Amino acid sequence: MKDVIQDTGARVHPAAEVYARDYRAGKLSRREFLTRATALGIAAPAAYGLIGMAAPSAAQAQTPTMGGTLKMQMAIKAQRDPRTWDWSELANACRGWLEYLVDYQRDGTLLPVLLEGWEASDDAKTYTLRVRPGVKWNNGDDFTAADVAHNFERWCDASVEGNSMATRMGSLVENNAVREGGIEIVDDLTVRINLTQPDIALMVSIADYPAAVVHPSFTGDDPVANPIGTGPYLPISYEPGIGAVVERNADHTWWNEGNGAYLDRIEFIDLGNDPAAWVASAESGEIDLNYQAQGDIIDIFDAIGMPRTEAVTAATIAVRFNQDNEPYNNKDVRKALQLAVSNAIVLELGYNDLGTVAENHHVCPIHPEYAELPPLTVDGAAARAAIEAAGLGDYEFELISIDEPWQAETCDAVAAQIRDAGINIKRTILPGATFWNDWTKYPFSATEWNMRPLGVQILNLAYRTGVPWNEAAFSNEEFDTLLDQANGIADADARREVMHRLEEIMQEEGVLIQPYWRSIFRNARPNVHGAEMHPTFVVDYVKYWLS
Amino acid sequence: MLLFLFRRIGLMLVTALCLTIIVFALTNMPAKLETLAKTQAGSRMTDAEVDRWLERNGYASPMLVRYGEWLGVLPGWVRTEDNGTVTGRCVALRGTAEAAGERCGILQGDWGFSTRFRAGVAEVLTARLGATGLLMLWVLAVMVPMALIVGILAGMREGSRTDRALSTFAIASTATPEYVSGVLLIALLASSTVGLSPLLVSWGWIDGPVLFQGNARSALDDITFSNFTLPVLTIALYGMGYVARITRASMTEVMTQQYIRTARLKGVSFGKIVVRHALRNALIAPFTVIMLQIPWLLNGVVISEVLFSYPGFGWTLYEAAINNDIELLLASSVVAVVVVLVTQLISDVGYVYLNPRIRIS
Repeated sequence: MKDVIQDTGARVHPAAEVYARDYRAGKLSRREFLTRATALGIAAPAAYGLIGMAAPSAAQAQTPTMGGTLKMQMAIKAQRDPRTWDWSELANACRGWLEYLVDYQRDGTLLPVLLEGWEASDDAKTYTLRVRPGVKWNNGDDFTAADVAHNFERWCDASVEGNSMATRMGSLVENNAVREGGIEIVDDLTVRINLTQPDIALMVSIADYPAAVVHPSFTGDDPVANPIGTGPYLPISYEPGIGAVVERNADHTWWNEGNGAYLDRIEFIDLGNDPAAWVASAESGEIDLNYQAQGDIIDIFDAIGMPRTEAVTAATIAVRFNQDNEPYNNKDVRKALQLAVSNAIVLELGYNDLGTVAENHHVCPIHPEYAELPPLTVDGAAARAAIEAAGLGDYEFELISIDEPWQAETCDAVAAQIRDAGINIKRTILPGATFWNDWTKYPFSATEWNMRPLGVQILNLAYRTGVPWNEAAFSNEEFDTLLDQANGIADADARREVMHRLEEIMQEEGVLIQPYWRSIFRNARPNVHGAEMHPTFVVDYVKYWLS
Repeated sequence: MLLFLFRRIGLMLVTALCLTIIVFALTNMPAKLETLAKTQAGSRMTDAEVDRWLERNGYASPMLVRYGEWLGVLPGWVRTEDNGTVTGRCVALRGTAEAAGERCGILQGDWGFSTRFRAGVAEVLTARLGATGLLMLWVLAVMVPMALIVGILAGMREGSRTDRALSTFAIASTATPEYVSGVLLIALLASSTVGLSPLLVSWGWIDGPVLFQGNARSALDDITFSNFTLPVLTIALYGMGYVARITRASMTEVMTQQYIRTARLKGVSFGKIVVRHALRNALIAPFTVIMLQIPWLLNGVVISEVLFSYPGFGWTLYEAAINNDIELLLASSVVAVVVVLVTQLISDVGYVYLNPRIRIS
């Protein structure tokens, strides 16, 4: 391949050197640098090395103790084929035996798991994946390059309903399957991925929760009934709505023996959606940690001796207009409604200030290619004037939200400000069971979006013309062209130039009111370790331990 | 008597049939089926994917046909995939491809498959009904004696101070719905920061952080005083007040009867009059009410089981309803109809034995 060989054996991607320079110049935060560098195939210690830092080692933390039973509150939903998972909880329950090729870490790095490492070509069209040697499935089979290729084939099968991995595989998919020549098994431990379009997000995509690696014999839709995996645990019971129990697998030698699998047993308890029930359970000692606490509940858990851990994320709520519907097909109306709303006030009233203010373009400051735009203005009088000019002075707008408290409160705060500006608006709150039926079609509603590590990922998923999750019905030729261009720029600085214009288009077109970036929280007892909140809700209980 | 029983059972079948048709129609509305598809195969599916899923899973045939399949009067749906595998209602339920094309509804004893719990409906309901049975048992064991004692004490001397005090208590308890009393009890007895528990802890009277557990999930494995008191109390208090009021009314009426006055004039002691002469007559009305209270308690069970996350019948009904679990909901309605009509039957028959003046014909 190419020239620069580091002593770790890995080639240093030229863009990584650029990132390191940017970090030293103060243009990048440490976290941004790590995400970008590791996505290019630089191992985390090497990435830390590039910026003259030592990687945080386990020695700095306490030495984990073995044993114990951990009880965690988490929703247990009916299982199905991993590639169709639509809730992180489904993946979390299985993380003990289904592992991933790479893991997205709390600090923003990518950690190779079933891969030993990978390299991206400079044009981000060819990826070479090096399979970790010595990994065994818990049925005794060896884990090889063929297994990796098999999983890529599964992910590319777009004919399976709800297979969200297919949308993440980009140009690898052709006619609902893998493109001819897309996946190359070079030898037993090497797989090469050949893309026709550059895709800088491939590695973070396969770290996402539906990308759990399954055995070639896996068919059907229940990874619990047929728990062949590479990980150190096995499911003991799994009852949707009630709970699940996982225990260490004594008959299997895990490839990473000694660096995890500390707990003997993990019990997940599904206590429903009412946080009061979680608190009641915690008070009587039936749970050691919750999955995610929101709003006042965080404080209540703090008060009963379960301190919070926080993860800053690019997760958000999109209060979007659907441009296929009257009157939101009128750009002036959309912009006027945006103008009436101060995002800072929404953050304060709707989310207890537990986040950072966003700028209506759905690209987060923690995304590597984020470009700063001038601050937004708020002007109620001008908003009212624009609505009247559009002939909608007496029109009653309707803002729809799901019944989840923080989302309903956020929409209440948006609607209240619109009302304050003298514009008629009513609020409708739908139960979760019916809300998702039409989530892409409501004229004006709010949707929760989880974070993606790269800014282009979210724009590809949600705002490109005609993609299934484009709930704003946004269609803009310039935007699509620039987005294609951005997808091929591995260097985030160069990509930022394009991103600057993309963000501007989002604002100019008044696509959505995107009030804030959420911080997310988890409360745990002080003797639970390694279970800090993860920005993508990962519950990697293999790394948890109790003191 | 036999004719009466047959009529009752006939009524039960007709009611069950009507109710299931209504439930079936409501849960099979197109929007509801879409919800089902999305909860089963991915909440962010496109419309085309939803249609394909419904088609592949037997939801595309007309509603009445599918109701017939559920009942077992029509053969279950069958589908042959492109690769030759045969799928179908009976194939999934019985687990063999030979069952394709047979009838497999409740008439054949196949209660169907719960989409929420990914298990057979019969299996889910037996487990959950068992849990609710235990809860109801304890509720009745607490409620009935308490209600009768309160009612009798209050009704013995109408207008006395005891009567006023107990009546106020009974009215207050029956006027407080479960979702209020449950929350109050949790706040008062099961919180480590407010209510009684912190006080008791500071006095050193209890070991744990709380007096009672505000969540009954652990009662599923092992019922203890600590985890079962609050749910039992919540349901019992609500029913108790009502039964106590009826008992009191019936008792005061009996106490004004001629034969009670005669007994008093003869010099029989007050205690003996109450126990020997008044009680049996005064218990006729409460008996019916208690039996009628049982189906009524099923209402309360939904609220308290969800509040205390105790997976019983009420909790299952709630989960099935919010997840549009069609076959589980249908089976639950059949169970509810049976419970209501059987308890009514018992109350009618029992009434005859308590009150010789009434005869079933």
